[in-house]
Amino acid sequence: MSRSKVRLLHGPPVHPPVKNYQIIEHTADLALRVYAKDLKGLFRNAAVAVFEISAEKISSKNPPQKESLPLEQKAATLDELFINWLNELLSLSATREMVFTDFKINKINEHALEATVTGEAFSGYRINKEIKAATYSGLKIENSGSDWQAEVILDV
Amino acid sequence: MSELWQGQLEKIDGYRWRIPRSYKPGMRVPGIIYADEKLLKDIRQDKALEQVANVAFLPGIVNASLAMPDIHWGYGFCIGGVAATDIEEDGVISPGGVGYDINCGVRLIRTDLRYEEIKGKIEALVWALFNDVPAGVGSKGDIRVSPREEKEILVKGSRWAVERGYGCEDDLECTEENGAISGADPDAVSPRAYERGKAQSGTLGSGNHFLEIQVIEQLYDRDICDELGLDSGQITVMIHSGSRGLGYQVCDEYVKSMIQCLNKYNINVPDRQLACAPVNSPEGKSYLAAMKCAANYAWANRQCLMHLVRKSFEKVMGMPWEKMGMHLIYDVAHNIAKIEKYEINGKEKTLCVHRKGATRAFGPGHPAVPERYRKIGQPVIIPGDMGRNSYLLAGTQKAMEDTFGSTCHGAGRVKSRTAATRSINLNALLKELESKGIIVKASGRGTIVEEAPQAYKDVNDVVNVVHNAGISKRICRMRPLGVIKG
Repeated sequence: MSRSKVRLLHGPPVHPPVKNYQIIEHTADLALRVYAKDLKGLFRNAAVAVFEISAEKISSKNPPQKESLPLEQKAATLDELFINWLNELLSLSATREMVFTDFKINKINEHALEATVTGEAFSGYRINKEIKAATYSGLKIENSGSDWQAEVILDV
Repeated sequence: MSELWQGQLEKIDGYRWRIPRSYKPGMRVPGIIYADEKLLKDIRQDKALEQVANVAFLPGIVNASLAMPDIHWGYGFCIGGVAATDIEEDGVISPGGVGYDINCGVRLIRTDLRYEEIKGKIEALVWALFNDVPAGVGSKGDIRVSPREEKEILVKGSRWAVERGYGCEDDLECTEENGAISGADPDAVSPRAYERGKAQSGTLGSGNHFLEIQVIEQLYDRDICDELGLDSGQITVMIHSGSRGLGYQVCDEYVKSMIQCLNKYNINVPDRQLACAPVNSPEGKSYLAAMKCAANYAWANRQCLMHLVRKSFEKVMGMPWEKMGMHLIYDVAHNIAKIEKYEINGKEKTLCVHRKGATRAFGPGHPAVPERYRKIGQPVIIPGDMGRNSYLLAGTQKAMEDTFGSTCHGAGRVKSRTAATRSINLNALLKELESKGIIVKASGRGTIVEEAPQAYKDVNDVVNVVHNAGISKRICRMRPLGVIKG
């Protein structure tokens, strides 16, 4: 399915699609539509969206201390893999007090992924929004040859 | 905004609407929505009613999938949803029917202070609360606990806080489940969940969580108000918070495991966020034990927050909290699942009652209501938005008969956070609130706009429905004076 033909699940986009993702109207929570050219990109862009929405870099004279972590996920379906990936990142971000900024996905298929994620300490950021979790409600992952698109509702 | 919901909706009476079972094959019971014509217009604007119909698919669901008038679109369950399942008939428990913020709830503190005596000190009180109560995303509290103590919190709930000197016995009596639901098993909680909740005891959190200094502006039942020591012009404090990161992690992990249960127990639900397992299955029992831990954590958290509120008032007012009569009226959970007994078709049944954005509202005489309130019914606390009102209600016998002892939980959102951010100007909003005599402080500037009064239904309309439908009863109404947001 081409991007223009994808049915709008949650109403019209709020922001023009200048990024690899859009925020879509949702009464209580936050719905996202993510675009990519491949599955790796889809997972990466979704993660970028989550952390761009929740945190904003504060300018600092000191170069940020970066830390990289390996992250592996397995799941029965692609949908589950996608939700597990985002929720694992949110959970790690909270426990390690880090904002993740770079997502290198080394291997991915519909049931497993191996990635290296890099983040910086909370102290270098203003945290604007607490995202509790990514949910299955209205989750849609679609592929049409060279285009991937996902829609997901985040609990905020 | 998405298109108007076009499903079948039948009017039962002035305050109730039915989605018939025939609306969707697979619905085991009808949906019943408490609303009037005015509220229904907003309710139809999103997918909340579809979610009411989806919840009706849950195995073992009894009578109806219920929605309160503050209903709005959530994930899996709608917010404002009540669903009871019969645990002897393979009834299920669904982590999505409780939500990520397990035991998000509210407590109301009375004071002997009168508006006239403290009106010059509201700003100082707001600043003291803002400085002394950790709030905002990832905020940490000064209350540090060892891993052993953290396990203790999950079992003892509010009592843990009281034993540490953060409150008194009286506070426990005035908390739903006395601040600790039995059956919590810390071993059902993962190390990651412990870690995510670490250092968050006594922190408010963010989003719609708040502390509010209020004044009582209208009494609806003079006798009950006299009994509760409440009067017009009197100052109250409201606290809205939950189980913080610990609850999110518990929910996340159990949704993940219950997705697998859908196949295992041959359960058909139209939304995977409704993932569930029979209450009596190993998975169901384990979730319930973990959910209870998170619920107790939340009660301990609100108890710690109340302690910090009392200390802030002591600092500004220069007298001990006891002298200011800062006693807890009550504390209610509004995101929880409870095992409760009801009479269904003349037979006593043990049900698992999910309240997702709904409040327990037990009527007079119920043994779970503290003795001091048994004559009047359980106090129910309904926070509104930061610019209008909040309410104290009481539970009723009718709620026991019609809604599994449940009522609404707040105003309910009507505008998305993005739409609020787009259309509301922060400075104009602050000016408008100031002109009403309301001072607001928030950790994140964005939060004020997202939580603006325009983003919510009018709580007066919501309470009007539950009062007129008889599922709870108005006691008094408060208006905000000072608001602290995360």
